[in-house]
Amino acid sequence: MSTVDDGEFKIVFTGPMGAGKTTAIAAVSEVAPVATEVANSDLIAHTKASTTVGLDFGRITLASGQIVHLYGTPGQARFRFMWDILGRGAAGVIVLLDATQAGALVQMDMFVDAFLPLVPSGALVIGLGRTTLPGALGSEAFAARLGARGITAPVFSIDARQSRDVFLLVRTLACILEAQANAEAAA
Amino acid sequence: MSPNRVRRASRDLAKKQLELLGTVTGVQSAVLFSADGFEIASHAADTAAASRLAAIGSSLAALGSAISAEAGLHEFERTTIESKNGTVTIMRVDNDQAMSLAVVAGRTAVLGQLLWATRHCCQALARLIHE
Repeated sequence: MSTVDDGEFKIVFTGPMGAGKTTAIAAVSEVAPVATEVANSDLIAHTKASTTVGLDFGRITLASGQIVHLYGTPGQARFRFMWDILGRGAAGVIVLLDATQAGALVQMDMFVDAFLPLVPSGALVIGLGRTTLPGALGSEAFAARLGARGITAPVFSIDARQSRDVFLLVRTLACILEAQANAEAAA
Repeated sequence: MSPNRVRRASRDLAKKQLELLGTVTGVQSAVLFSADGFEIASHAADTAAASRLAAIGSSLAALGSAISAEAGLHEFERTTIESKNGTVTIMRVDNDQAMSLAVVAGRTAVLGQLLWATRHCCQALARLIHE
């Protein structure tokens, strides 16, 4: 397993269908991203035309020289076996959510519960999409929900199509991991 | 192709094709599924097992397509997972990659015969579902 200390590590983008995982990885990857999108037949779950059923993969190099491998998961719970495969060995997790979805808070709980046990560092960042649209929940609601469960994680409003927004999520995760490494070194 | 758009009659006919495949030596179960992992028809797999095979099968088919594309090859045709006690073959059914078939077989299966029968079944399924 690669570690943060090696200067090369893996993080996972997860979250429900339509949250922007494939888009986010494509927005920042410095190599042509690998996608496994197929036609979406579950129009009740989401009206979008295509959906990821395998994995997304991309790669970025941070200003620190650290190389980050980005893995995206499928969003539907029937692909949970892929969550376990992709979550294993990850240094941290980014959960993307659609703030206009009625069940966004419950979805956040579900993805946090599924992935935190797979990630020993517990490093977690939340990215909220579509927060400027009518009916969107504010980031305070998500932060409060996490706080009530004793989970500390930064929550950002983002546009998954904008590379600077996605970079912000990845850099924040890298900072959390670096702070942990420094704390361990000092202990 | 949405599994919801496959007519009930076509599903019943698909099930008959899978039953026929079930008579091939070593075949234990078979599941026809949509590209996004929904069961359309199955043989000798209970509902939960068929749902899981459909989901995992669709991931494997998508990964097969991704690695074929990466290697600059043509479209994904099939992949066979060989395990100690048998094989699982995932084969695409139609040209537009909308459906695939997963066939689970035990050690008594002869791989060549199994692949031939699976291909034959896929061709029959493609015909009846697009009719």
